[in-house]
Amino acid sequence: MPQLDTSTWFTIIMAMLPTLYLITQLKLLSMNYYQPPLTKNPNLQTHNTCWRPKWTKTYLPHSQPQQS
Amino acid sequence: MNENLFTSFSAPTILGQPATIPIIMFPTLLIPTSKHLINNQLTTVQQNLIKLTLKQMMAPHNAKGQSWSLMLMSLITFITMTNLLGLLPHSFTPTTQLSMNLAMAIPLWAGTIITGLRFKTKNFLAHMLPQGTPTPLIPMLVMIETISLLIQPMALAVRLTANITAGHLLMHLIGNTMLTLSTINLSTTLLTSVLLMLLTILEIAVALIQAYVFTLLVNLYLHNNT
Repeated sequence: MPQLDTSTWFTIIMAMLPTLYLITQLKLLSMNYYQPPLTKNPNLQTHNTCWRPKWTKTYLPHSQPQQS
Repeated sequence: MNENLFTSFSAPTILGQPATIPIIMFPTLLIPTSKHLINNQLTTVQQNLIKLTLKQMMAPHNAKGQSWSLMLMSLITFITMTNLLGLLPHSFTPTTQLSMNLAMAIPLWAGTIITGLRFKTKNFLAHMLPQGTPTPLIPMLVMIETISLLIQPMALAVRLTANITAGHLLMHLIGNTMLTLSTINLSTTLLTSVLLMLLTILEIAVALIQAYVFTLLVNLYLHNNT
């Protein structure tokens, strides 16, 4: 059994470790794991208004370029 | 036929330099990376397969166990690739090397054991004795269970090595037989070649199954300890 000859063990192990590391870190980490789209309750969505519902701010701001 | 059967398992050298390093690192090239949202067919198939395996393997784990998923997925990818590449004729299979399998099995097993001892000491020690053991048997059983625990990484590594080595030896032997028979009897040669073909299909299955089994057992040890 040439597998039991320990002279090559170091090389083999030292080649195996970076390979596993490369597969882990460079290959699998960069894979795209798509999440299935989740449904949102439309009632819970808050609209971002450019004025605040405070009693002092009963007016619209000065006409400005539309902000999204 | 004086050729030593085991020559294909000794680590190859090219011009005195170890050829094992490029051979072991080659499977890395077969997993292309891409930053694109939509990939080519090869990458998509690979990603789907990896995702399928990931779901299958990591579903029973809690969050702590699932933190190992990247490691285990890369392990199964690596072992599958090496096993399948090793089935090509005139190629060297790194998974037949006991050293590599031990180097993969021992740290992973030790990692699970240390996790178990550190975070779930009671649970870990409870595995040392099955429930409902008669009192006089308790010391004996604890010793047996400890030995079986310590032998786990050896069994893991030797299982992979032995399976792949045995398959390659069998294919080697039947291939040689076929070559010898081809000068004597044609019908027997045909029969042997059918046998060899069936054996090759079996070996492809074994290559996949052994990679799965290796990862599954590491997975099991992890599950017992998290």
